[in-house]
Amino acid sequence: AAGAPKPLPSSGPKSLREMPHPLATSSSEEMGPALTPSPDLLLPRSIADKDLSLPNGTPVDTSSPASSSSLLNRLQLDDELDAETRDLFVTVDDPKKHVCTMETYITYRVTTKTTRAEFDLPEYSVRRRYQDFDWLRNKLEESQPTHLIPPLPEKFVVKGVVDRFSEEFVETRRKALDKFLKRITDHPVLSFNEHFNVFLTAKDLNAYKKQGMALLSKMGESVKYVTGGYKLRSRPLEFAAIGEYLDTFSLKLGTIDRIAQRIIKEQLEYLVELREYGPVYSTWGGLEVELSEPLEGVSACIGNCCTALEELSEDMTEDFLPVLREYILYSESMKNVLKKRDQVQAEYEAKLEAVALKKEERPKVPTDVEKCQDRVECFNADLKADMERWQNNKRQDFRQLLMGMADKNIQYYEKCLTAWESVIPLLQDKPETK
Amino acid sequence: MEDCLAKKMEITVSEAEKRTGRNAMNMQETYTAYLIETRAVESQSEGQCAPVDSLWRRYSEFELLRNYLSVTYPHIVVPPLPEKRADFVWHKLSADNMDPDFVERRRIGLENFLLRVASHPVLCQDKIFYSFLTQEGGWKEMVNETGFQLKADSRLKALNATFRVKNPDKRFTELKHYSDELQSVISHLLRVRARVADRLYGVYKVHGNYGRVFSENSTQGLADDSHEEWEHVRYAASIDDILEEEEHYADQLKEYLFYAEALRAVCRKHELMQYDLEMAAQDLTSKKQQCEELATGTVRTFSLKGMTSKLFGQETPEQREAKLKVLEEQIQEGEEQLKTKNLEGRDFVKSAWADIERFKEQKNHDLKEALISYAVMQISMCKKGIQVWTNAKECFSKM
Repeated sequence: AAGAPKPLPSSGPKSLREMPHPLATSSSEEMGPALTPSPDLLLPRSIADKDLSLPNGTPVDTSSPASSSSLLNRLQLDDELDAETRDLFVTVDDPKKHVCTMETYITYRVTTKTTRAEFDLPEYSVRRRYQDFDWLRNKLEESQPTHLIPPLPEKFVVKGVVDRFSEEFVETRRKALDKFLKRITDHPVLSFNEHFNVFLTAKDLNAYKKQGMALLSKMGESVKYVTGGYKLRSRPLEFAAIGEYLDTFSLKLGTIDRIAQRIIKEQLEYLVELREYGPVYSTWGGLEVELSEPLEGVSACIGNCCTALEELSEDMTEDFLPVLREYILYSESMKNVLKKRDQVQAEYEAKLEAVALKKEERPKVPTDVEKCQDRVECFNADLKADMERWQNNKRQDFRQLLMGMADKNIQYYEKCLTAWESVIPLLQDKPETK
Repeated sequence: MEDCLAKKMEITVSEAEKRTGRNAMNMQETYTAYLIETRAVESQSEGQCAPVDSLWRRYSEFELLRNYLSVTYPHIVVPPLPEKRADFVWHKLSADNMDPDFVERRRIGLENFLLRVASHPVLCQDKIFYSFLTQEGGWKEMVNETGFQLKADSRLKALNATFRVKNPDKRFTELKHYSDELQSVISHLLRVRARVADRLYGVYKVHGNYGRVFSENSTQGLADDSHEEWEHVRYAASIDDILEEEEHYADQLKEYLFYAEALRAVCRKHELMQYDLEMAAQDLTSKKQQCEELATGTVRTFSLKGMTSKLFGQETPEQREAKLKVLEEQIQEGEEQLKTKNLEGRDFVKSAWADIERFKEQKNHDLKEALISYAVMQISMCKKGIQVWTNAKECFSKM
């Protein structure tokens, strides 16, 4: 890190578009010397002289350039970043079952490829289990409270109802975990998080976890973000709109989830009957002479339709529903972040009010009120940026999801069509060669 | 089939009407009457239509006609009537006899029955059938005057009673077995088909709910195009048409379910004939034996009468002479009867078998047609599904 970098302008009242580009030459003098147009894009720590800390005193992780404005600038750059200029790739695959005396569990291989300076090596391959992912998520929530952290697939599964070790379950989970890490990788702030780095690289994650716990116990404070219980005066329109949107969105998702489940259920009941239907034609064929072949053909055809329907239902269950659920979880966690933001704002307003009531001669704004204001502005900017990114991702994800669903249905009908078309020649009179 | 009636005459059951009247016990009843329209087919004249004759008949009259035909032509596989009560229905269809859909399907079934009879080489020539189509009043009396009810063998009513036939005709035994199996398999098929229709209906209707989700507040929704909604609603509604068409297929199967019964009836009649023949032959043999015993005085077979006459006194030679004469007469009668029965039996087998062959060909042809149209229906359904989802995919791609 360089010397005392100058702070970038606060995002406060200015709109996203008015932010000067960090690489813009016109204001290069104002930029800290730490700025170099390198692929790593080391952005200076802004607002570094004002320490960012959570209301309960826990220092905010500032090892990564987690600032409002730098983030916004980074966001602009992001649009120009395409696959070739990405410098961090993470994949989750190769699930393996581990049987120990105390327990049985699954680990997944997490592979990282990167050119970033924060990583000592260009490649890493580690094994992680669900607990580790859960730990990572909690750490990210603690250390980046102003950001939206992507959701994890559900932690608890009802024993006896779902087989935790079945191929389908493991594969569904693997896909979700892969998505989780990829979303973090794509995030300009979260991807630089120290815990994320350790998660991707450490051979022994448990040792690190213990270290972290020791540190916290030293501080003797709960890491959880404590809500101050302040009442909010007025929510900025944009956040109110986001809140309303999320409510509607969650409701709609819930409805779609229910309908999808209902469709799958009806399809499976239809399948049960269809499975009995096909063989009856075969029995009939056994009685007949001339009609034997066509009836067998119809029986086989219905059998093929059964298989096609089975595949369709499986796809719905394994691909469609999990993504819906994921977004439901996402909405929930976003609402929580919105609440936190409200809290931060409420605290600031309360402090401001307290100062106004003191009626001091010199209306000197005390430093802690200023800190609050910064916190609010920081939070707002981070959240806004994350929301935009989320909206884009959501649109893409749903577009892909729905198109995928349409594709699967088309494939199902095409399979059935082929099956029935093959029956017709069996029923047509053969040319009189007898 | 050049001279079959169907070629000479257009026959339709064109209307159905609800009526009220008084039944045999003078109680008020509601029933449906069907309008039978007939018109001679003029092969020469163009543009000149022969006049249409019409009369009304109710279901019970159709039944009477069919009973008459069954009894009068026991060796023929008589076409069946449509079902008396709605059976094998899936939930949307009503099982009520007065339900307009049921009445409509029955109307079609009755027309089909008349056309079948009119195209049968033997049945179409029947006078009673012709009168049924053309003579409004007094038809019932005419039928009863034929006295066919007397010919009807009440033993046939006991469907499952077995007659121990010593030398069963293998072909008929196999055919009876086949008709039993056919009835069983088609019943099973119709039952499962009804359940399949029920479930398919359920699937389509839930898809209709998708449309509603998308239509609400599309700016906040996941898809902004209202086309998406229409597609799903149309998709959900299309199931009604599909299942209605499938009912027609079910009706075709039902006809052959009932045809199987008619086939079985022919086998049963043959069985009875054979049984009667064997009984008659047996009777004749025992009479001949008795005759012999009386003539020679030897008692070969034990009989209580013989024993009692031995115990309580012998018969006078005159008495024996009288008995012999009676027996000889009976034997002669019996032999003639047996000859006739044998001839009848052989005729029956010959003509029955000819009709059975005709029926087999008709069955194979009809069922192939039915299966083809069923497959075509399924194909069209698949194509519609592909279209709907392709359109949906288009909409999604614009998100």
